[in-house]
Amino acid sequence: MTKVTLETAGSVWKVLINVGDSVDIGTTMFVLEVMKMEVPYEATKKGEVVAIHIEEGDIVEEDQIAVEIKEDES
Amino acid sequence: MSWEKEIQEIEKRKQLALLQGGESAIEQQHLKGRLTVRERITELVDPGSFEEIGLAAGSASRDASGELTNFEPANFLVGFGRVNGRRIVVGGEDFTMKGGSPSTAGLRKSIYAEDLALQFKVPLIRLHEGAGGSVGGSGGKPASLPDPVYAPPRFQSVAKAMATVPVATAALGSVAGLPAGRLVAAHFSVMSKATAQILTAGPAVVARAMGEQKSKEELGGWRVHTKNGTVDNGADDEIACLEEIRKFLSFMPNNIHELAPRLNCEDPIDRKDQILTSIVPRDRRKSFDMRLVINSIVDRTSFFEIGTGYGRSQITGLARLNGQPVGIWANNCKFLAGSMTANGANKARRFMELCDLFRLPIVALVDEPGFMIGSQAEKEATIRYGTAAVLTAAMTTVPWASVMIRRSFGVAQAAHYGPGGFVLAWPSAESGPLPVEGGVAVAFQKDIAAAPDPEARRRELETKFAAKQSPFPRSEAFSVHDLINPAETRFELCRWVDRIVPLLPGLLGSAQFHIRP
Repeated sequence: MTKVTLETAGSVWKVLINVGDSVDIGTTMFVLEVMKMEVPYEATKKGEVVAIHIEEGDIVEEDQIAVEIKEDES
Repeated sequence: MSWEKEIQEIEKRKQLALLQGGESAIEQQHLKGRLTVRERITELVDPGSFEEIGLAAGSASRDASGELTNFEPANFLVGFGRVNGRRIVVGGEDFTMKGGSPSTAGLRKSIYAEDLALQFKVPLIRLHEGAGGSVGGSGGKPASLPDPVYAPPRFQSVAKAMATVPVATAALGSVAGLPAGRLVAAHFSVMSKATAQILTAGPAVVARAMGEQKSKEELGGWRVHTKNGTVDNGADDEIACLEEIRKFLSFMPNNIHELAPRLNCEDPIDRKDQILTSIVPRDRRKSFDMRLVINSIVDRTSFFEIGTGYGRSQITGLARLNGQPVGIWANNCKFLAGSMTANGANKARRFMELCDLFRLPIVALVDEPGFMIGSQAEKEATIRYGTAAVLTAAMTTVPWASVMIRRSFGVAQAAHYGPGGFVLAWPSAESGPLPVEGGVAVAFQKDIAAAPDPEARRRELETKFAAKQSPFPRSEAFSVHDLINPAETRFELCRWVDRIVPLLPGLLGSAQFHIRP
């Protein structure tokens, strides 16, 4: 299981995945807005989205867990 | 009668000293995945170049007939060596003896490392693994008299070394107390992710005083200290740490009275990377990779980043332009939009001081939206540390070149321009007292609210003011030296290097104010 944590505080601008989606390395999962700039978060592992802990419009904190991904077995 | 007996004893003492804490202590060290201090020095310096000082220091025991039975060497090694042919002083605690906690002679040798580097005016490298003082004193022997009241401050030579010669340090095992303080008293420090922890005080002391139950790794592992700036860099293991130190030194002069060596450059100075003409997105909400810009401009593969893990909105490091060592400072818009945070400002201040002290010209790649804002930033006293960075830039004496890549706003932008600096602007540059979005929101609050379509009015105003922040009016007013095609940045900066290098010898000597940890 990979937990994607936020590197900075900000607000959630877009969530582009749903629970159950499969993601590949480089898939943009969500986009924060930080200091008026878009900060895309891309998947670093191939796998399935098993939990999403953020919603569009949320004010989020550094180190908060945003998404959990179950890695594909290979 | 000859001195044969004594000569034999000298030889025996040397052999015993080289055994360090003994076979089993060395084996223990290896079992924990760590090198001994002798192995570390051997790995660091050019083969066969270590000239040890003070191998005879330590304590001897004798039997009833006066024969030598044992010799315990001082638990700090010091000596000269060469790194890439250049003489350096190297020192380090011997963890196989008393866990590196200083013995009497060990402490003397450890302090002597700074004295030697100062006397011979060569870089100092310290390889740390050890604890601080022990309440029981050194080796259970009665404490000697405390220092006289007129003794010079104990850390004066540490401070003087930092003001005179390059100092690079590594944490290679657990480093606590005094050695931890010495570790950070450096221009460049690196810790081994595999083997090092840095602790002001270890778990037992913390548990007793604070009631906090934490492991060494939780208290002071690389995850903590590469993020907070206690050390500049983290490297995978001990060998990688030593490689980082060698790399750092390659950009450094021997001392403040000499210039850093300029190398031959095989990378053409007129190399143009067309990627630079489109790397900055026109959409101002979109970010770009500043490290790509840096690597494209400087001599190929020469960029050595310092402080990758902390103050991440700022990127600092050493590189070469046409073979000349320079300091590179850039904003990273992918992290907090590249804004000046308290940590980022501290990192930038120290970096400018490093460059000023060793007369490394500074190249600033500017994309500065301003000081970080919000309640967290206020709690961190961002304005104080940010202003310290601004004033540091104003007092530097080395030549600067500042390239306005994108944003240059607020008080914070002033930190990116040195006195008499050469200023270039990309077409994507925008500058002013504050970015358009925030500025319009504040100045036209009522206007926007009263409009039939407030959002449309906001956008209209933002577009209007964005045009005013373009680099063209600035160039017309001679507020920048030139507007350039981004692909020609390397060429422009290499020509600038040739113009400023003849000025550097005139700057040699003490800096206006010294770098501190």
